[in-house]
Amino acid sequence: MRASGAAPAMAGSSNLLSVDNVSFAYPGGTQVLDQMSIAVPTGSITGIVGPSGCGKSTLLALLAGLLHPDTGSIEWSDDTAQPPRHPLTMMFQKDTLLPWLTVEDNVGLHFRISKSRLGKGEQKDRISELIHLAGMHGAERKFPYQLSGGMRRRTAFLASVAAHPRTLLLDEPFSALDEPTRIGIHQDIFNIVKREGITVLLITHDLGEAISLSDQVMILTSQPASVYKRFDIPFGTNRNFLQLRENPKFLELYGHVWEQLAVQIQLSRANTAHRPTNDL
Amino acid sequence: MTSNKATRSAGQAGQATPSRLSRIKARSPVWLSQLGLLVTFMLAWQYLPQIPALKAMGHLFDPYFVSSPQRIARELYNLGTGNENSPLIWAYIWSTVYAALLGTTIGMVLGAASGLILSNFRFLSEVMRPFIIGMNAVPRIALVPIIVIVFGPTATSCVIISVLVVFFVAFFNAYEGGSSVREELVQNARLLGADEWHILKCIRLPFVMAWTLASLPLSVTFAVITVVTAEILTGVPGMGSLLGTAAVTGNSALTFSVVITLCVVGIAITLAADAIRARVLHWWGH
Repeated sequence: MRASGAAPAMAGSSNLLSVDNVSFAYPGGTQVLDQMSIAVPTGSITGIVGPSGCGKSTLLALLAGLLHPDTGSIEWSDDTAQPPRHPLTMMFQKDTLLPWLTVEDNVGLHFRISKSRLGKGEQKDRISELIHLAGMHGAERKFPYQLSGGMRRRTAFLASVAAHPRTLLLDEPFSALDEPTRIGIHQDIFNIVKREGITVLLITHDLGEAISLSDQVMILTSQPASVYKRFDIPFGTNRNFLQLRENPKFLELYGHVWEQLAVQIQLSRANTAHRPTNDL
Repeated sequence: MTSNKATRSAGQAGQATPSRLSRIKARSPVWLSQLGLLVTFMLAWQYLPQIPALKAMGHLFDPYFVSSPQRIARELYNLGTGNENSPLIWAYIWSTVYAALLGTTIGMVLGAASGLILSNFRFLSEVMRPFIIGMNAVPRIALVPIIVIVFGPTATSCVIISVLVVFFVAFFNAYEGGSSVREELVQNARLLGADEWHILKCIRLPFVMAWTLASLPLSVTFAVITVVTAEILTGVPGMGSLLGTAAVTGNSALTFSVVITLCVVGIAITLAADAIRARVLHWWGH
């Protein structure tokens, strides 16, 4: 559709990640991914949507190295940054906060469990800076059980950002939040990710979320999944998420992308009509 | 009306007061009923055996066997002060409590360590499973004679037996805790750069410690029971040996005094254990 506008933060259009013709089947025999190819520009946010159960989470597990493709290749470009950055972190759909640690200790989990180049003082500064950026100052000493759902998600997000990773995988991270909370978090996450130059892959059920946060959106086919359509999202690096949702360009794009997504949802429903399902 | 006024003026004085006052007011019918029940029981215990017709019915109404609150109160006073050539109870309480606390500590540390290791290494846990279930099924008191032969009728034997009891309580909790660590937590830590050692130390160990600590009130109660039983069987000085003496000398007032003291000690230890647990595990259960 539109060729320009993607990843404007980074000069050039070098790809951080190239997924080429990756296929994957679980030992049971279900083919989950079929010849999937994705290119992710450095510093961009890629939103991935598709029918329920199409294999989005499997894709993330493959990217995280938790699973390995049967055929095809997943290639990451070399890290030319000095000093080299932490390769990859992931924000899970389920809660990963450690209940016995305070917000600041949860955010700084990376520093506790792995060797960091940062000294103690620098670690502290980074943690408190991130907490400020996410609007959570004052909550540093709180424990997860004292936080609202939105605050817990913010903390989990900061914990995966504190390591200053090159890549961040988001696996439906905000699906349990109400819409006003979600949009507030979108704004903070978008700003922090762009500021840190982190390349993001976002898996979501929420098309509005995908379009408002991403530089490119991909629609997957129903299982076995491959990329059905790709869209460039031309909203740049300065976005106001409250205004974006009423922007005619956003609404037009939403309608356009939804049309294509609906095709896949219908196909998926036709395919699974004979077995009980709990989605949509 | 007057009580309402009192509540209000107390509320102006301090913030915590009104809620505490209203709580006391809400609870007082319960407390009064409990007190009434206790007094009724004491009176019945004291005076029913003095009715000749009942006394003739059997041992249950014979003060020689069931003693009386009055005799027990005097016995407790003597045990506490050394009056009338009575032995002092404090040293006995201390040796029992000491053995129980030591047994609890050792048993919980060993149980937590084993639970941590077995929950971390699936293969090992599968190999060990039948042995652990088998060992848990052994009545620990049956091991007392062997332990006494090996270690002699000493306080050490009492501690070892209580360790054996506490170990399994702590172990099963620790294992459950170590196994309850969700896969996402481990994957998340791994992606953040943790190696296996850090996952064991920073993720699994805290879960294991929390679950083990959750069993503290139960463990310490078990330990007291076990130590007293071991003392009865071995004659090692302690509350158990006092019970043994009481039985041999037919001193029912002493028996009940020891039992009541053990009740009080047990309640105190359980409350302390609950407080420790609530304090350390404040984040638990939310």
